[in-house]
Amino acid sequence: MSIFLQILLRSLETGSVYALASLGIIIVYRTSNITNFSQGVVSMFSTFVVTALFINTGMPLWLAILGGVASAITIGILIDLVVIRHTKKVSPVAKQIITLGLIMVILGVTPLFFGVDPLTLPRLINAGDLKILGANISYNGLFNIVFGLVLMFVLFYVLQNTKWGLAVRTTASNEYTARLMGVPTKTVTMFAWAIAGVLGVFSGVMVAPMTSVSLNLMDQVQINALIACVLGGFQTFYGPIFAAYLIGISANLLSYYVSSVWGGQILYIVILAFLIFRPHGLFGKKIVKKV
Amino acid sequence: MKKINFLKNPYVQFILFGLVLATLPIMAQTFPFVKSGYIITIGGTLIYAIAALGLNLLLGYSGLISLGTAGFMGLAAYISAYLTVDLGWPFLASMAVAVIIPTIIGILVGLVSLKIEGMYLAIATLAVSEVIRKTFEEFDTFTNGFSGKAAKFPSFFNISLDRASTYYLIVIVMVLVMILMYNMVNGQLGRALNAMRGSEAASQAMGVNLLKYRLIAFAFATAFAALSGVLYVHFVRYSYPSIWSLKLSLDFLAMIIIGGLRSIYGTIIGAFIIFAVPDIFLKQIPYFNQLSYMFNGILIILVIMFYPNGIVNLRYDIKKWWNKIFSRKGKLNNDVGK
Repeated sequence: MSIFLQILLRSLETGSVYALASLGIIIVYRTSNITNFSQGVVSMFSTFVVTALFINTGMPLWLAILGGVASAITIGILIDLVVIRHTKKVSPVAKQIITLGLIMVILGVTPLFFGVDPLTLPRLINAGDLKILGANISYNGLFNIVFGLVLMFVLFYVLQNTKWGLAVRTTASNEYTARLMGVPTKTVTMFAWAIAGVLGVFSGVMVAPMTSVSLNLMDQVQINALIACVLGGFQTFYGPIFAAYLIGISANLLSYYVSSVWGGQILYIVILAFLIFRPHGLFGKKIVKKV
Repeated sequence: MKKINFLKNPYVQFILFGLVLATLPIMAQTFPFVKSGYIITIGGTLIYAIAALGLNLLLGYSGLISLGTAGFMGLAAYISAYLTVDLGWPFLASMAVAVIIPTIIGILVGLVSLKIEGMYLAIATLAVSEVIRKTFEEFDTFTNGFSGKAAKFPSFFNISLDRASTYYLIVIVMVLVMILMYNMVNGQLGRALNAMRGSEAASQAMGVNLLKYRLIAFAFATAFAALSGVLYVHFVRYSYPSIWSLKLSLDFLAMIIIGGLRSIYGTIIGAFIIFAVPDIFLKQIPYFNQLSYMFNGILIILVIMFYPNGIVNLRYDIKKWWNKIFSRKGKLNNDVGK
């Protein structure tokens, strides 16, 4: 039982990383109709910024993270201003390929700034473990879980209850009509890219202490977050988050109870098989195509 | 008059193109400025071009995006290396098995693609490719794990090939693939795929069987990727799990986008731009690996935004500009004449 609880707590920690990343993907998808493959590398770059600030200038970690947030916002706005804004007439698949091109650009740029050697980033809360019913979790892990949940609740509150959230939701539901109604959709889209960047840098800083800060820091997170979006369905904001926690928990359970080597592969295959029967995900609605 | 028609025949052009490429090993022996290392570079480029042709059939003609190319290519490479080295199978038999197994998996992915539309498909193929790549890392007895798997140059009918003759084999296979591709896209299959890309509902109403043609497209795309994987492992003679990553799949995408969607020569031009040109000309520049990757990314974005038909279209545009300048000159002359 204590092992099960231990696994569950660890999974909640990875789950909240996936959830933040997939929320970043979904908010961009809903506002600019792009499945953003570059979410992972943008957060990788910003995590490099955090690490470089922390190591080179010796500033406290929380301040360095704020620096990373600033860089993530800048990159997000730049991507929207320079590239995405000019692709209104491009087909969805071609837009997707543009984000794949962005991956190549950022993977090429990062070593020029930060070198090719992997760096290490410490945890935000360095020491201390909490014991719950025989299971251990570090204060840092607990903080990550709580922080992820709080961030998501704040975002949901903003989306549901503020004027700005209403603007995002109208843009998401129909961009053209929203513009006719006077919603500044361009600004909304730009903000969405900035917020996606911020969510990305938080997920990056959460993952970084578990491995080292290198070019493929976010690969696993990115793939899992995308699969969470598909599993949860692209039509809602809460679906992907639920699916992200589900993937985090079931990946760890499978690799502990079934096979540490094949657990991940089994999970992906199960999800793919599930998608054959429910192609729009757990919470997705079928979009009726008009011919 | 007859000679010109003969040269305009596409099959003759493909074969001539192959003959030109086949002169490389001889040139390497006679001219000092053609280094023998170019054989590896160009041979590798042609191998990648074969896989990219398959992806072009999928993305260009049927509008289905796949990020699994590298995974399928690697799977075939490992199967062929395992069968020839560990089990001592003959090259041709192992090649057949190494092409058939990934193709079956590709057809399964095609079945999934009927349910999972457009943007979801890229993510689904990414998941498939991730499963395959993890298998390379974990399945030690089959792939030799991170330390990599070695293979030999191909040998069949009691002939053992060396590097130059394997290069000829690659050129021959590529010309055959080009001819096959030309026949497919200009026949019933190509028309059906074009109709499906335009509108699935309309093409279904015209009697195009979606399931059949999608499965054919996926089958050929994975078969070409597998074929190029087999050639790769027997030409370069080793295979690591890290080769078959998402990075390589993105390179394939870059090749066909930059070179030109729905164009056979465009795909090959793209392969040369992505692999051969950086390797031959730009290697001296520091940080060149990262830089070339970055430029590929920028090129993809620019081509999609401003030049969606790809670089292969340049010749038409140059012709147009040429005609414009020429006809303007003609006008000026006329004016002068008046």
